Amino acid sequence: MLSHAEASENFIADADRTDWHDETLWFVREKRDKVSKVLPEWEALREHASQIKDHTLANLGEYLQAFEAKAQANGITVHWAADAAEHNAIVHDIIAAQGSKILVKSKSMLTEECHLNDYLASKGIEVVDTDLGERIVQFRNEAPSHIVLPAIHLKKEDVGETFHQFLGTPKGNKDPQFLTEAARQHLRGHFLASEVAITGVNFAVAETGEFVVCTNEGNADMGAHLAKVHIACMGIEKIIPKRADLASFLRLLARSATGQLITTYTSHFHKPREGQEIHIMLIDNGRTRQLADPKYKNSLKCIRCAACFNTCPVYRRSGGHSYHQPVAGPIGSILAPNIDKKANVDLPFASTLCGSCSNVCPVKINIHEQLWFWRQDLMEAGLAPVGKTIGMKLMAFTLANPVIYRIGGSLLRRFAGLLNTRLNPWYKQREMPVAPQESFQEWYKKR
Amino acid sequence: MSAREQILGKIEPLAESKHPGAFQGASEEFDFRASLAVVGARVMTMAELETEFPGRRRYDKTLDGLSLAEIEVLEIDGEFGVAENGAIWLLEEALPHRVAPFICQHLVINVKKIVPHMHAAYEELGKVNSGFGLFLSGPSKTADIEQSLVIGAHGARSLTVVIHA
Repeated sequence: MLSHAEASENFIADADRTDWHDETLWFVREKRDKVSKVLPEWEALREHASQIKDHTLANLGEYLQAFEAKAQANGITVHWAADAAEHNAIVHDIIAAQGSKILVKSKSMLTEECHLNDYLASKGIEVVDTDLGERIVQFRNEAPSHIVLPAIHLKKEDVGETFHQFLGTPKGNKDPQFLTEAARQHLRGHFLASEVAITGVNFAVAETGEFVVCTNEGNADMGAHLAKVHIACMGIEKIIPKRADLASFLRLLARSATGQLITTYTSHFHKPREGQEIHIMLIDNGRTRQLADPKYKNSLKCIRCAACFNTCPVYRRSGGHSYHQPVAGPIGSILAPNIDKKANVDLPFASTLCGSCSNVCPVKINIHEQLWFWRQDLMEAGLAPVGKTIGMKLMAFTLANPVIYRIGGSLLRRFAGLLNTRLNPWYKQREMPVAPQESFQEWYKKR
Repeated sequence: MSAREQILGKIEPLAESKHPGAFQGASEEFDFRASLAVVGARVMTMAELETEFPGRRRYDKTLDGLSLAEIEVLEIDGEFGVAENGAIWLLEEALPHRVAPFICQHLVINVKKIVPHMHAAYEELGKVNSGFGLFLSGPSKTADIEQSLVIGAHGARSLTVVIHA
């Protein structure tokens, strides 16, 4: 697997596309600014939502049990899964009981995290992703590159070519309106035929046992309301205490995500319709470990708006796939090391620590601080790449020894070329400054 | 040990952090019509509606979920509108089927009451529990292809609102 830096190098090889990616995501960030700034209470809303999440995390066990009891009383079946494997096995059992070989799924980052599609495919069950962006990347056998805009790494020409290949649209047609219509017709057939629908969950309310799913396309609802069995998958951190709490979260979510006032559809699933089954999956998969660590527990407040992606100077110029995780960007970089430190040791370093992520976060997660905490923890765990370890030790030694520091300095001033080599990652794609003839100390002594 | 016990057992109670209570200080100055325009919905009078959609079908309990796919234009009643974002609360009881507002090609909603913002909206909802309800704001849309806004992704291709307030 390529590290973030290596994969980014491939991404930025196409300069025009990199610029387009950068500018398009910045445009989304600007839309967020416009709609949030017209609300005088925006900052108060962020604080309110943050406090509700703090309170929920402090009492998560109680709220999970309250939610379970209410949901069961409403006729919903509640399942618990400690990890991805358990989650996938339970979902498979539910589908197998129905005898389905094909099903529809709307956006759920949790099922991406659990690699549910691959697991079900290995059992002979086909998952049709119904979010337009997710369907596009599914056809291409790629992962979503952004949690809200899954196909943001692609241009319309790419989508046209993919649809030509898989849906038989005319070659060369790249009109978004036309291509969206083709997907609408293609997926409508699947909605009408599927007996099982899987959706994600944006919020689950402990007070009422209901759960809320937000989409703009209407694909979650088309699937869930036409299927006999609806499986809703959520991480245990998606709980909120009261129904009235939804007001603050819904006001923040779409404005932060895409600059919309609210998503087109905000559906509240409370009881199964007549003859229908609803199953809710409550998954841990490392979340209780994150909760127990005071440094990282705040990452569980995330409502998956992706505002931190859109604002991040590194994400915008490296693309989602460089993060090699279902959730990319700054938030993904603080969630992933909790699951696997070694495999994700590069991610907390994929940041300038500028803090823009924390500034836009609607629930006030201290993302950039947690990136910095992870850097320290991963280095202490001895997971740093050899080059970085040697470099840091050499630097520490030099800075601790004034004589070595002066000799080193004078050498580098005369032979700047020693630094301008491929061994120095900072030299790549940068013009290094010309070294001055004398050091500050030499200049000061002369005066 | 079951997964449930395992998960609940791992959750240590953290230092207490109070629920902040209801949100205070929401602005009230929102224009429902302006929000509807932002989200791509049209506002019509009954007379204009007659001209635009003479063949529309009002909610009828005899229609089941699938035959709705054949309906061009469906007219239903919303419970109330939210001025800040153009959302309209729809209750299962006022729908022929849960999928109705999604599967029809064009949707018409009558609105008799408007509240300023989402906090007021949930106050209005109170504790009444229907099996299903939703906030619907504008027609179905996507921008998944190069961020180009396309109306009519999977749900209704247009939303027309008739305000009776």
